[in-house]
Amino acid sequence: MEETNFTPEESLLLIAKTIEETKRKFEENGYLLLFWGILIFIITLSQFFIASLNLNIGIGLPALLYPLAAIYTFIFFQKKDKRSKLPKTILGNIIQAMGIVLGANLLILGFLFRTQLGLALIPIFLVLLSFWVIICGVAIKFKPLLIGGILLNLIAFIPFFIEWQYHFLIMSFASVVAFIIPGILFNNAQREENV
Amino acid sequence: MYKELDPLLHSQLRLSIVSILMTVDKADFIFIKESTKAAAGNISIQIKKLQDAGYIKVEKSFKNNYPNTTISITKKGIKAFEDYVNNLKKYIHPQR
Repeated sequence: MEETNFTPEESLLLIAKTIEETKRKFEENGYLLLFWGILIFIITLSQFFIASLNLNIGIGLPALLYPLAAIYTFIFFQKKDKRSKLPKTILGNIIQAMGIVLGANLLILGFLFRTQLGLALIPIFLVLLSFWVIICGVAIKFKPLLIGGILLNLIAFIPFFIEWQYHFLIMSFASVVAFIIPGILFNNAQREENV
Repeated sequence: MYKELDPLLHSQLRLSIVSILMTVDKADFIFIKESTKAAAGNISIQIKKLQDAGYIKVEKSFKNNYPNTTISITKKGIKAFEDYVNNLKKYIHPQR
């Protein structure tokens, strides 16, 4: 690789190829997308059943799993960083930092200000989540995630037209569209690439 | 041949190294070696040239009791890379 007599076109191609290859090495395997998708699905579905069947259980009880999952995610990244021989990409750092800020804010809103937010709680959650999903989709150039994020953004406004207990059902549906399906497709795409 | 192009960056290996460093926070020597598929000796020479020009920063430390060399791009390196890419574009689309 000592060649210096190459054309500007070849040079640009080399830059694009190197950057693309480097970025590809860092893409998440979709595990956390699936993890959070399934978690949100289970939590919100249980909240829906608690609300609609008038069960004698606190509706906020299943949501206690969120902070536990956040701790697990934090530990997961810490361990992954220690194990990984790969350097951190600037893109990966941005996505991770945004995820931490978003997660912390959602937990604060959900646990401290849910009364003040009232019926707007779930739409706000979904709108904020959709920002992150759309940005991730654009950043890693993964269309299903981008489409999932856009759909999530649209779904976010449905709760304003329906009864409050169905808000949870909308959120579980949103988790399937924006996290579970893109997560499965991402895993499949990664697997095919590694074959 | 291409006078305005930075001769330091207009080498495939050095350009590959700088392109990698534009994407990551910092990279270790092994990662660069695996990514470029070039010989260790060759990479060392090119890294030294880039370091002397102030385009990259090289830090030597120990990781799990083994010597570890991490390389990151400097502000000067980022500027040089951006100028290089802009000049490349001028060659490809001279009318713009």
